[in-house]
Amino acid sequence: MRYRNKPALQDRLAAEYVLGTLRGRARLRFQAWMREDAQLRRAVTEWEQRLAPMAAGLKEVAPPRRVWQGIETRLGAPATARAIPAAAPAQPAAAAKAGGFWESVTFWRGWGLIATGCAAALIAALALQKPQVVEVPVEKLVESTGMQPSYIAILRNKAGKAVFVAYAGRKSDELWVKRIGLEAEPPDHRFELWGLYGKEGAAPRLLGMLPKDDKATIKLAGVADDSLRDFPALAITVEPAQGSGGSPTGPVVASGDCFKFW
Amino acid sequence: MDPAQNKLLENLLEACARRDQGAFARLYEVTAPKLFGVAVRILRREDWAEEVLQDCYVSIWNNAGRYSVGLSAPMTWMTSIVRNRCLDWLRRPNLEVVLQRPDDDGDDPLEAIASGAPGPLDDLARSADAKALAACLGRLEAKQRQAIMLAFYDGLSHSELASHMRQPLGTVKTWVRRGLEKLKGCLGSA
Repeated sequence: MRYRNKPALQDRLAAEYVLGTLRGRARLRFQAWMREDAQLRRAVTEWEQRLAPMAAGLKEVAPPRRVWQGIETRLGAPATARAIPAAAPAQPAAAAKAGGFWESVTFWRGWGLIATGCAAALIAALALQKPQVVEVPVEKLVESTGMQPSYIAILRNKAGKAVFVAYAGRKSDELWVKRIGLEAEPPDHRFELWGLYGKEGAAPRLLGMLPKDDKATIKLAGVADDSLRDFPALAITVEPAQGSGGSPTGPVVASGDCFKFW
Repeated sequence: MDPAQNKLLENLLEACARRDQGAFARLYEVTAPKLFGVAVRILRREDWAEEVLQDCYVSIWNNAGRYSVGLSAPMTWMTSIVRNRCLDWLRRPNLEVVLQRPDDDGDDPLEAIASGAPGPLDDLARSADAKALAACLGRLEAKQRQAIMLAFYDGLSHSELASHMRQPLGTVKTWVRRGLEKLKGCLGSA
């Protein structure tokens, strides 16, 4: 990493991150480094301590009552009567009721909440994480299975276990999906599959509702070369039975890189 | 923030980590006006600030167990959560944030300072914790101070600072960088 062992540069970036002038891709990259680098996190905390007192000077504004009501609703009524501590891997049903999509996304970020924010930003951050090295002996696979040039995604749950695979031939508009240990949907909920763009700020694209069968196909909007090409990663969220309507609302239960190989 | 208040917030966060709902409601009651003020100032739209505030308190509840007393004061921790979420929010695509920026608002901290009217810096000086910061900000060159305050209070990016201050991007970046360096030096020696 370019910034390792360059404390002066690290400190400068930490300062600009906390001040808020580190934006766009640089901010996302910085957030990714923070996840891996304790020294950088320390520098950020120090800058937070230096600058946060500025906020003490701001005038207070009483939020309307509906804000608290919204919080209560999101944490599940009655307000905070949630049995599952945040630190434990949340059950999908509880998480759907309790934390919602963004809270569960924070889980994927390994540590804390420094950067939690809007859907697109988080999901982009997720997509920009270092891809896991998956050694697929492509030639052998093609040889033994007759697999055609294609897109493949391997999605992992919060524990890092692969629980879901998806495959589409590049000229096909059918995405073959298989659950390999994915927990069942919570009652009255469905899973939805999303394509995550690699570029910053882009909202995830709904690929479709997951059929409940272990093995199934999802009809893509077009052939995979068009409909999957832009997604370096896919994710599955818990959504209401009638569907999310196009923007993720529930927690992420699995996510992973989407590879193209031929 | 006085030590008693600090201690109260630490205790409330600790109770939240133990899933104490009453403590969470109390924490909200005590801190929400301040944090909402931070969000409204940066986002300049109350509806967005409301949404961000909700997100932040849900996060605070879910992550109270990760708050570490030794690392930072409770208000610093919570303020950082809110500011970061606001900054992430401003990065959303298709936002028409640029429409309204500090100049159409009478509450410019710099104007307040220039006019001698009470402004954030004066309030800052009243908070015991923040006296050193206020003094050090006061020692920066005016342009450096203005750039840092606009970035911090109003969430302006480098390019927004450049257009707001009518200066080349490089100049503004230098002001911010040098201002932060000086601030660190000043606080370190305080």
